[in-house]
Amino acid sequence: MARQTDLVPDDGGVSPAGAPAEQRALDRPWRLWASIIVAGALLVGALIGFVLIPAGQAGNANLSLYEAVCRALGIRSGSPAQVQPVSSAVSVPVSEVSWDPAVMRILAEGNSRRGAAIAAQTCASCHGDKGLSQSDVPALAGQSPYAIYKQLADYRSGARAHPQMTGVAKALSVPDLAAVSAYFAAASKEYAAIGARDLVSEVEIERLAREGNSRRRIPACLSCHLNGVGGPIETPVIIGQNDDYLLAQMNAYASGQRRNDVYGRMRDISAKLTPAERAALARYFQGTL
Amino acid sequence: MAIDEGAILKSELRWAMVVGGIVLVILSAILFAALSMHINPPSNREFADPKTLHTSDEFTEANLGTRVEPDGKVVARIIATQFNFVPDCIVVPAGRDVTLRFTTPDVIHGILVAGTNVNTMIVPGYVAQVHTRFTRTGDLMMPCHEYCGLGHSQMIATVRVVPPGAFRPAADGRIACGERRPA
Repeated sequence: MARQTDLVPDDGGVSPAGAPAEQRALDRPWRLWASIIVAGALLVGALIGFVLIPAGQAGNANLSLYEAVCRALGIRSGSPAQVQPVSSAVSVPVSEVSWDPAVMRILAEGNSRRGAAIAAQTCASCHGDKGLSQSDVPALAGQSPYAIYKQLADYRSGARAHPQMTGVAKALSVPDLAAVSAYFAAASKEYAAIGARDLVSEVEIERLAREGNSRRRIPACLSCHLNGVGGPIETPVIIGQNDDYLLAQMNAYASGQRRNDVYGRMRDISAKLTPAERAALARYFQGTL
Repeated sequence: MAIDEGAILKSELRWAMVVGGIVLVILSAILFAALSMHINPPSNREFADPKTLHTSDEFTEANLGTRVEPDGKVVARIIATQFNFVPDCIVVPAGRDVTLRFTTPDVIHGILVAGTNVNTMIVPGYVAQVHTRFTRTGDLMMPCHEYCGLGHSQMIATVRVVPPGAFRPAADGRIACGERRPA
């Protein structure tokens, strides 16, 4: 007991946590003024943000003052502008594939055993056993299931056309497309190492592929065409792809003959590349494995 | 050494005035920018499903670019995507109110036109909208200013501001830079 009372300093009866009485008295007006100033600043800030600025901008967007203030406060939804008239243009999508949960579920449930059976029957004669083809037929081993599904679905809907593939894709059901996509995606790991071809090492081409060209507004090929880097999910992996096929596609994009790339990304880029660059890039990507 | 409480109070007051002054300057800068230059956070709240933008009515590929709406408003619709703007060049008239509408199907992008009040983020799921009036004619750069991936630094669009007399949209109200892309 005696030890504990020793610990409490003799401060004239004020609680241990508080300041001495005369200092508290000195602070009182200061605390009062500080509170008033902070409250005042809040009030002025609210006035500026919720009344003054909306009032200044209301006229800009043909709104009443009341409506503008309500929108600033978040009571009314909407923007400083009225709802835009939706364009009268008819929606003519280049591709009808959209990656909604239903499609993702189909791909997740793609039965690769069934896919293997379809592939052996239908695909192998051109795309090669296990999806390793030659020349102008694209190799499918190592491809993402989204890329394969997107192209098959586009052949089916007519967004992309090919004398043989259009018929093949139309003969398959949507779950079949997913099964085939799942099969070739799974085949990739086993066979990805096969097919190391001639390496092309032109400095300019390699730079274009890896870094792009800001002056010409050409993004690097590899900023999208690698697994999981960027761009739409359906972007194909082009490393190790047959160069004849790659060149044919770039040329088709450049001329506008192929147009199932959503928002024309590849049409735009291909048209910016010179024919010589397209050919060199096709060789580069066939050789890079 | 004893410090006079009154002196401490005076010093605190002086510092409070300095801080108060800084707050005041910042608030007036915001106020000035908002009211006289129309620079403010874009407060448009409008949703757009990023998965189905390309099959939507407004942001379908054929509908992008500048268009004079039937009511005479100049509206430019632009898709920001990894890694370019679609279209990557728009034509707008000088001295007229222009509405720019952006959205994206993939990740967060941003746009900025130097010397104007056009500066906004483009967030998937939302339509970003900016009202502006360009005064100087010529080609203005509109780069992506929100890191969006490996091709970010190649993502630049052009805003071609033409004199009102040279702004001649086609019969359907559309106008594009140079050759229109095969659509």
